[in-house]
Amino acid sequence: MERFKIDTLNNKNRMSTQELLQLIQAKIEQGVTSFEINACGQHDIGGASYSRVKGENLKFFVKNPGQRLGAMGMKGTQIIVEGSVPADTGWLNSGAEIVVKGDCGDTAGHCSASGEIYVGGCVGARSGALMKHDPQFKTPELWVLKNTGSFSFEFMGGGIAVICGYGCEDMKSVLGERSCVGMVGGTVYVRGNISDVADCVEIKALDKEDIDFLNKGLQRFLEKIDKKDLLKSLTSNWSGWKKIQPVKDKKSEPRMSIKEFREKEWIEGGIFSDFMKDDYKVFELGGTGMARCRIPQHNSAECINCSLCEKKCPQKAISRVSGGYIADAEKCIGCGICAAVCPKKAWKMLENNKDL
Amino acid sequence: MAAVKINELHKSDLPWIVEIDESKCIQCGKCCAVCSFNSISPCVELRKKSANLSDSENTEKALVIKQNIGFENHCRGCGMCEAVCPNGAIKVIRNNDDMYAIRYRAEKGESLKRGGRSNLNTEGRTLDKIKIGRISQMTDPSLDPLRHTFEIKTQLGRVLSADKLGFEVNGNKIVETKTLPPNRWIYPIIFADMSIGALSSRMWEAIAIATAYLNEKCGMPICMGTGEGGIPVNLLKSRYLKYMILQIASGHFGWNRIIETMPEMTEDPAGILIKIGQGAKPGDGGLLMANKVSKYVQEIRGVPKADLMSPPTHQGLYSIEESVQKMFLSMNAAFNFRVPVAIKVAASVTSVSVYNNLLRDPYNIVGGFFLDGFAGGTGAAHEISLNHTGHPITSKLRDCYLAAVHQGRQGEIPLFAGGGLGQTGSFAGDAFKLICLGANGVFSGRLLLQIAGCCGNDTEKCNACSTGNCPAGITAQKECLSKRLDVDKVAENIVNFMIATDTELRKLMASVGCSTLPVGRSDALITVDKHISKRLDIQYSI
Repeated sequence: MERFKIDTLNNKNRMSTQELLQLIQAKIEQGVTSFEINACGQHDIGGASYSRVKGENLKFFVKNPGQRLGAMGMKGTQIIVEGSVPADTGWLNSGAEIVVKGDCGDTAGHCSASGEIYVGGCVGARSGALMKHDPQFKTPELWVLKNTGSFSFEFMGGGIAVICGYGCEDMKSVLGERSCVGMVGGTVYVRGNISDVADCVEIKALDKEDIDFLNKGLQRFLEKIDKKDLLKSLTSNWSGWKKIQPVKDKKSEPRMSIKEFREKEWIEGGIFSDFMKDDYKVFELGGTGMARCRIPQHNSAECINCSLCEKKCPQKAISRVSGGYIADAEKCIGCGICAAVCPKKAWKMLENNKDL
Repeated sequence: MAAVKINELHKSDLPWIVEIDESKCIQCGKCCAVCSFNSISPCVELRKKSANLSDSENTEKALVIKQNIGFENHCRGCGMCEAVCPNGAIKVIRNNDDMYAIRYRAEKGESLKRGGRSNLNTEGRTLDKIKIGRISQMTDPSLDPLRHTFEIKTQLGRVLSADKLGFEVNGNKIVETKTLPPNRWIYPIIFADMSIGALSSRMWEAIAIATAYLNEKCGMPICMGTGEGGIPVNLLKSRYLKYMILQIASGHFGWNRIIETMPEMTEDPAGILIKIGQGAKPGDGGLLMANKVSKYVQEIRGVPKADLMSPPTHQGLYSIEESVQKMFLSMNAAFNFRVPVAIKVAASVTSVSVYNNLLRDPYNIVGGFFLDGFAGGTGAAHEISLNHTGHPITSKLRDCYLAAVHQGRQGEIPLFAGGGLGQTGSFAGDAFKLICLGANGVFSGRLLLQIAGCCGNDTEKCNACSTGNCPAGITAQKECLSKRLDVDKVAENIVNFMIATDTELRKLMASVGCSTLPVGRSDALITVDKHISKRLDIQYSI
């Protein structure tokens, strides 16, 4: 079918995004399926539209589009851009095939949930962020010949991204900095150096299935962006490729316990050990021995051996010895009942003032 | 039964009443055993069986637990007895008709002393009337507090304005033409200075361990103020010295050991803090009651067992200018100008004058200004100071910050604010608000005590830090009490608390769209109080 041509600049009068999109929709409703659009920065070209002609796809050949090219793109839509496009290419893509032969701005493929995006250059920051995959539909794919900006694939929940790192061999990271933060699903294939990806993902070597997928996919991708001749250089050495996936059942590494830190790394014996040896044992409330706030002392001279203390001691700590009674430090908690019940005040409670 | 006289101390005069339900009490004695104040004791009571008072046959003996009534051993309401009672038979109840403070002075003829914090907060907290009202929604970058990176660091040390940095362009190179003042990037929360002596050795070490752990295992460059009670030589010689801010106060305790250990130090300390005043008791010097001056404290401070009352001022300093010249110079010289030296004063109506004077700092040796508000805590103080002196932190911090702003010199001498932070539960909230009002960082000490299990509060519960009888072992030197404190557990809890606080700080930073500290971003704050709005120059919102 013949392409319907729209030139959005007419005698220095620029068609607004609204005018352009309404014109396209009107033509689609009239049965047009193929458009050639000479845009000047209009947004959302090729998005959210579907062919009214059975068996025929919608095709958009676009030059110089604005942001959100193919936004909310639907199955059965194909968009081809000869040069580069600004931000949000394929935003919320739900099935369209978008081919950009140049570069994409930031957030390319942001939230895309189906369809394919092929980029013949690089993509900007936060590209592939929040990609997701609804199993009822085809897996979304984002193919990029060169590299991505920082923070890409943030919060990615599904889908496949392929970053070929072509011509980026000297880069420290073809994924920029802090990519894959919060990634919980999907796969990013990447060729070239990567650094500073989030710790919620793991970087793995490719298996046979991955290589099969890439072998097939790269051929298709390079055809789309007219770079068939690069196939060999991208597929000749699979060890240069890695795949990034979220860590399954991520368990955060347990921190070293303070006890272990104190015993292994802290100053041996503690910082006060040159003066006092602390065993770091903990006294429980109501403990015996040195844990007592007060310690009973018996004065035999006053004792009349009435055994009241022995009978009333709740800890059964008091026993009779020749000349009086003693309290067993292992049992006595220092409650003072012995002193209270003694008719002769033979028991005295002494403050346990010993310094640590 | 002994005769009762009206002019004696009665149970009803005491701030806390111990109530025992005799139907539940089994006289196991645990409550008496755990009471570190000896406020309850078992005793045998002679009870009358009828109203016929003259009949001596008419009595029976009963073993009961009784509250002791005395100035030294009155109940502090700490609640340890309740914690150990197997039957829930004992309760401590706040006595609102308490006459203790009057009775004490009338009986003893001396000033009433205690630990803790101000118990007379009639004004409410300003920080609680401020909210973070600027939320990043389309106006600022939206940040994810859990997953994005944040730079939560601040500077300790003198910061020079760009024109004074001493860089020159030589050909196509930038050359440093003079040495810059020492400067550290630290976490904006500092563990405030509490001395060995004020704290038990275990508590002090637990904080030191938590500090080291947070730095080395959690990537949080938190510094610990040492307080002025000497520093163990083991620590001075260790690599952990680099996390410590050494304090010198009017008592000058323990500095001889620091000086003598210098040849053996492998690290410089993080900083030095000259303490001029303390928010909880402005105008007073340090106070450590003899009960707490244990053998170790005697040795490290070089004093006998006695009440240690540091002078309220540094005797050698007579003016702000002189302080800068003498004290800052000496402390900078101590580590050959490699260690930032800051100063701590109690917030006061004069704070701005002091800060303005310091800002002139012609020698670039003033490395920080710590302002301590009145809601902070202390180991011991005269109650008159605790309850009736001091200045809230918020407006004074703000005044100092704006004074610097008006001269275009904000940030040159970093401002740190403290005093009662986290009092109502949220440390991160308080820290964040103060930072937005102009603080480069904040500090808190008493929050660490609270984390460690302190049972005291701002309504006269416990507050017995001065007595040496701390039931939680936090401020006690006696073995029987200080060993109640579990060093590992306390350090763990401090670490956990700081990790949680860090997450919460990120949360607040994300909400205003900042990935670095929003120092002075008062546009982020709103208040529903007209006076606060006017005084702090933040948006009034209703």
